[in-house]
Amino acid sequence: MTEKNIGKITQVIGSTFDAEFSEENLPAIYNAVKIDSETGEKKIHLIGEVQQHLGGGKVRCVALGSTDGLFRGMECEDTGAPVCVPVGKNTLGRVFNLLGEPIDKMGPVETTEYRPIHQPTPKITSLSTKTEIFETGIKVIDLLTPFVRGGKAGLFGGAGLGKTVILQELIARIASAHGGASVFAGVGERTREGNDLWREMKEAKIGNTGRSVIDQTTMVFGQMNEPPGARLRVALSALTMAEYFRDNLGTDVLLFVDNIFRFSQAGSEVSALLGRMPSAVGYQPTLASEMGALQERIASTDKGAITSVQAVYVPADDPTDPAPATAFGQLDAFVYLARSISEKGIYPAVDPLASSSRVLDPQYVGQRHYNCARLVQQTLQRYSELQDIIAILGVDELPEEDKLVVHRARRMERFLSQPFLVAEVFTGKPGQITPLEDTIRSFEEIAAGKWDHLPEQAFLYVGSVEQAAEQAERMESAAKKK
Amino acid sequence: MAKARALDKRRKSIQSTRKITHTMELVASAQFRKAMERALAASAYTERIAALVGDLARAGLKVAHPLLEERPQCKSTALLVLTANRGLCGGYNSSILRMGHKRLEELKAEGQAVRHMVSGNRGASYMKFRDVQIDEFFNQFDHHPLFEQVNVIAEGLLTSYLAGEIDRVEVVYTRFISLSKQYATIETLLPLSELANAQNAETETTKGQVDYEFLPSPESILEEVVPMAFKMKLFKCFLDAAVSEQIARRKAMKAATDNADSMISILTTTYNRARQSQITNEIIEVVSGASAMK
Repeated sequence: MTEKNIGKITQVIGSTFDAEFSEENLPAIYNAVKIDSETGEKKIHLIGEVQQHLGGGKVRCVALGSTDGLFRGMECEDTGAPVCVPVGKNTLGRVFNLLGEPIDKMGPVETTEYRPIHQPTPKITSLSTKTEIFETGIKVIDLLTPFVRGGKAGLFGGAGLGKTVILQELIARIASAHGGASVFAGVGERTREGNDLWREMKEAKIGNTGRSVIDQTTMVFGQMNEPPGARLRVALSALTMAEYFRDNLGTDVLLFVDNIFRFSQAGSEVSALLGRMPSAVGYQPTLASEMGALQERIASTDKGAITSVQAVYVPADDPTDPAPATAFGQLDAFVYLARSISEKGIYPAVDPLASSSRVLDPQYVGQRHYNCARLVQQTLQRYSELQDIIAILGVDELPEEDKLVVHRARRMERFLSQPFLVAEVFTGKPGQITPLEDTIRSFEEIAAGKWDHLPEQAFLYVGSVEQAAEQAERMESAAKKK
Repeated sequence: MAKARALDKRRKSIQSTRKITHTMELVASAQFRKAMERALAASAYTERIAALVGDLARAGLKVAHPLLEERPQCKSTALLVLTANRGLCGGYNSSILRMGHKRLEELKAEGQAVRHMVSGNRGASYMKFRDVQIDEFFNQFDHHPLFEQVNVIAEGLLTSYLAGEIDRVEVVYTRFISLSKQYATIETLLPLSELANAQNAETETTKGQVDYEFLPSPESILEEVVPMAFKMKLFKCFLDAAVSEQIARRKAMKAATDNADSMISILTTTYNRARQSQITNEIIEVVSGASAMK
């Protein structure tokens, strides 16, 4: 296209706008439409994405930035392609917005390669069929919801239960030991958290190579201060960069998304403006297909693997809400954070009964791990069934067998807590990385009653069960001193 | 809807639990009154028997009876643990069993042969779970222990004691002091040293009282009275345990009913809120759907 395809804005509704082009040169769906104008003091630079053809040369676009200052009759230009973001090795160590513009004030990105953020999903024949366990060193995750290398894991939880903390902990644990590239997508969360993470990554070193974690990481942010269009597309921008590493460089990529719910929420914000009828609980009717289009692209192929960890906000602690429910089906490992656990002061507040993993199956994790995990769940399940009886009649009324179950369940429950590396500055306790083998052995021993004599408190915030015994000794000697 | 329905179901189940605990509370109150009357009556009788021994002593008689003598070496002990047949009485059974089990371990550690006797189904299941052997087990005593039933056990113990098979009889039971005070305790019933001591105390405090004339002879009366005193003490233990059980049950059931009440009220509030928010949600959906159609 030699001549510029120019249109005019005919209507602005919130964060969407309509533009009129000539009937012959209608921009295609998903094409980026650019508005560059300077009226006196005001400079407006805005990209919109075509969403609908309204007929009569008109298109409806979602603005990927603020629509402040737009007016009817303004000129806009069809760029002839969807939004394209820089990809490749030079994006590592940098921070971008959803348009692929660096926002870390470190100068322009030197790369020649750009990719459109809308890509087809990988073919089913090219998908990787390997299943390998991904050890995190977090007891509750390794035991009950093992992650898959090249798979997808979701951290579900209501407000303030520690999704972001677990995600950052995983970054600290995995990214610092990971050889390949990492991509972090900040979708509609607090800007402060993004800033903190960036600074932490600059300080943290990868193993003992002396290089910063940030040198292996690309960060893309569209935080909650951005308009819905930005939050709707930022996950795609980050994903596109990750896909390049997978497809062209063949490396293993880690993709962290915080928070995928904001993607659905942004879709819901613009959906009504685009004239779609609201569906269940006021969400967009296209909720599931939008989520599917994104999640299907996060896949491991025969070229390389994308291991992704996503935080999913659960509105009003209701996991049946359509937004988390659609995300749920896409994931291999499902970590559910429960308010009832966090109220007990047990962090990570993973609900051992609601969480699950596709690979918690003897075929993948081995019979011993499977039996141990199920035994822990059975014990905790029985304890939760007895809860009402205990609340009414008291523990003394339980039969002897159940008393023992309660006794051990209370210890297991506390033992599922763990001090985090990233929380070290707040708790004063060094973070614990517990090998899977230690985790399984510890839980087996607790279930077998080997540690029944230790007080419950000793099981809080330790790594292996031997540390619990040490903690019990410390507590005893502290009590004696008093 | 799922959440509201689950809450309602839970509330209903707690309501029926409450019904049970409330009924148990009323039943326990009624039985406690009867049991207490019996225990008080028996305690008057036991006291009188002790006084009688005192009187005998004052008659210038040297109180000597095999049941009163402390044996120099205690090789074998009969440990009788009195628990309830039924649960739902709070910490009643567990405090007795904890004490009894501890005593059993102590006696065994001392190297004694223990005849372990347990009354009450609860005690049996506790011991069975911990693989502790029970030599004799009774569950015929409910809230209304009869003297004839206790007599059989008492006779058995007396025979073994006199034959030298056991050197000591200890009873672990819940002692009833008053309506507001009962505690788990271990009491040594044989040898009846307390009775012998009571005799000394009696001689000092009741000086200057009427001297009785005993017929046919003080010795023969002593022969009768001492075994009787043991039987009565044992019977008293059973009666005390029965009263304490009823009191404990009434207290536990009252607490349970109160707990259930507070849980029901919390659940009702939560249920109402869930139901209301669901209705609101549906209205919003219908209204926004309708307005989007305009």
